[in-house]
Amino acid sequence: MANALTTTCYVVLAAVVVVYAQRKSQLGARVQYEHRDTDVTMQCGTLASEASVTWKVNGTDVKAERREEGPQLILFNVDVSHNGLYSCFQNPNGERRDQINLRIGTPPKRPVVTCRSNTYPKGFYCSWHLTPPPDIPTEFEVNVEHNLRVLEVERDTVHKNRCKVKFPELFSSVPYRVNVTAINALGSAYTVISFEESSIVKPDPPEKVVVTPIPNRVQRLEVTWNNPSTWPDVDNFPLKYFLRYRPLIRDEWQHVELTETTRHTITDAYAGKEYIIQLAAKDMEIGTWSEWSVAVYATPWWYEPKPITSTTEAEVIIENCSTTPPSAKPEHRLAAGVPALFSSPHLLLASLLLFIMW
Amino acid sequence: MSRGKAVCCAQLTLLLAAVVGCVQVPDLSLTLTSERTTIERTYELTKYLEHQLKDIKDTYLSYLGPPFSDPDFSPPRPNSSSLSVPSAATRVELWRGLENGARLAQNQRAYRVLLCAMRELARSTLCPYLQSSLLHFCSGLNGLLGSITGLMRSLGYTPPQLGDVPLPLPGDGQPLLTERPASNEFSRKVEGFWVLRELQSWLWRSAKDFNRLKKRLKA
Repeated sequence: MANALTTTCYVVLAAVVVVYAQRKSQLGARVQYEHRDTDVTMQCGTLASEASVTWKVNGTDVKAERREEGPQLILFNVDVSHNGLYSCFQNPNGERRDQINLRIGTPPKRPVVTCRSNTYPKGFYCSWHLTPPPDIPTEFEVNVEHNLRVLEVERDTVHKNRCKVKFPELFSSVPYRVNVTAINALGSAYTVISFEESSIVKPDPPEKVVVTPIPNRVQRLEVTWNNPSTWPDVDNFPLKYFLRYRPLIRDEWQHVELTETTRHTITDAYAGKEYIIQLAAKDMEIGTWSEWSVAVYATPWWYEPKPITSTTEAEVIIENCSTTPPSAKPEHRLAAGVPALFSSPHLLLASLLLFIMW
Repeated sequence: MSRGKAVCCAQLTLLLAAVVGCVQVPDLSLTLTSERTTIERTYELTKYLEHQLKDIKDTYLSYLGPPFSDPDFSPPRPNSSSLSVPSAATRVELWRGLENGARLAQNQRAYRVLLCAMRELARSTLCPYLQSSLLHFCSGLNGLLGSITGLMRSLGYTPPQLGDVPLPLPGDGQPLLTERPASNEFSRKVEGFWVLRELQSWLWRSAKDFNRLKKRLKA
C-alpha cells in the first residue's frame, strides 16, 4: 500500500517536471516568421561559421529538403508544414545552443471591410477579414473619420475583427471613411472604404414570428411578430415589413408589404396545406432590407372529423377565393372625425329630443 | 294649432342648438385630425420629391461631367461663406427633443434657402432638358414649402419672416451660389453638387420629422 502511494507520487512528480521542462524550453525559444514559398535560413545562436551542429524539429530529425552549412540550416520552398520548434545541438558534446519556433505565413493582403448599422440611430459596426488567411498572428488598426473629425472606435472584446462606432450626428450628407490596416511580421496592407449614413442601415430580421390558424377559417393564418430587439427606437425610426408566404407544395412566394403594424392575417391560404412564412424589416426611409427571419411553418385550421353517430352537419365556412386582400381594421377606414361625433353627449341629447318630439 | 306649432318650433330650435353644439365641442380634435392629414400628405410629398431628386441628381452629375459623374466622388463641402445652404445634420438628442414649432420652422427655413439655390442651379444650367426638369422639380419643392408654411399657421406657429432668416436671400441682392469673379468653374460645380446633396439629406430628414410630428399630435 505504501509502495503504491510512493509510486503514484513519483509518477505525478515526473509528469510535473516534464511539463515544466517543456514549457521552459518553449519559453526560451525565439519566433522566426518567414514567407511561404521562399528559402529560409536558421542560424544556431552565435556560433562561428566552422561550428558543427545537429538540428532537430519538435524533438525528431529534420526530414524536409534542406542544406546544412556550419551553424546554419537552410530549408527550401517552405510552407506551413515546415512550422515547428527547431533545436540545434553543438557537436560533439550535444549541448543545445538555440531554439527557434519557425512560423511560415504571408504578409496580409488588403482586408475586406464591411460596415453596417443594425442599431440606427445609435451607431454602426465594421467587420473585416483577410483572404487568404496569413497563417501568422496579424493585428489590425482601425481609423474612422467623418467631417474631418476622427471618431472613437470601440474594439470588440470577443471578435478581433470587429469594432463599433457611435453616430456623431444624424442626417449627415458627409460620408464616413473607415481605414483598416492589417499588420504582421511580414508586412502590412490597408483598405479604405467610404459610405454615407443612409446606405449602411440594415436592421436585424423581425423576431418571435408566430403563425396561428384561426378556428373555423380554413383559408386564414394569423401572423404576429416583434421588432428586432437590436433596433433601439421604433417610434421615431419606424420600420416597414415584408412578409412572404407560400405553401410547401409551391415554389412561388406571395408578398405583402406592411407598415405600422406587427400583425397580419393571410386570407388566401390553401385549405389544409402547410405553409412557410418569413418576414423582413427595413427602416421606412433609408437603407436596405434585413435578412429573412427564421421560417415558421403552419397549417390553416381544418375541422375535426365528427364521429359517425352524430346527427348534426358540421359547419364549414369556406371563404370565397376571390375575396379582396385583407382589410385593415374596420375602424381605421372611418373618417377620423366621425368617432368623435358619435361619442358626443350632445348628439345623444339631440336624439333624445327627437324621440320626445315623435 | 298655433300652440302646437310653437312647441314644434321650440323643439326644432333645441335640436338645432344641440347639433351645433356637437359640431363645435370636438372642434379641436377635428382640427388636429385635419393637421394629421396634412402632415401625412406632406410626408408623401417629401417621399415623392426624394424619388424625383434621385433621377435629376444622376442626370445633373452626368451633365457636370467627370469627376462629378464618377460614382464615389465626394468633394469637400464648401465653407459656409461660399455655400449657405443649411445642413440637415443634427445630434440625435437635439433632434428628438425638438418642439413641434421649432421642428417645422427648421424645415421651413431650410426649404426656403434650398428652393432659391435650386432655382439658381436651374437658371445656370445650359442644357434645356435638364433646366426644365430642374424647374419642374422646383415647383414641387415650392409646393412642399407652402404645405409646411400652411401647417405652421394652422397649428398656431408663426412662420419665420424673411427678416428672420440669417442667411442671404436673392431678394437681398446677394446670390446663394456666389459669383465671385475669382471663383472658378470647378468650385461652382462643387457648390451645385452640394446643393443637391444637402437637398437629398433634407428630404430624408423631413420624412422623419413629419413622422415624428404625426406621432406627437396623435398623443
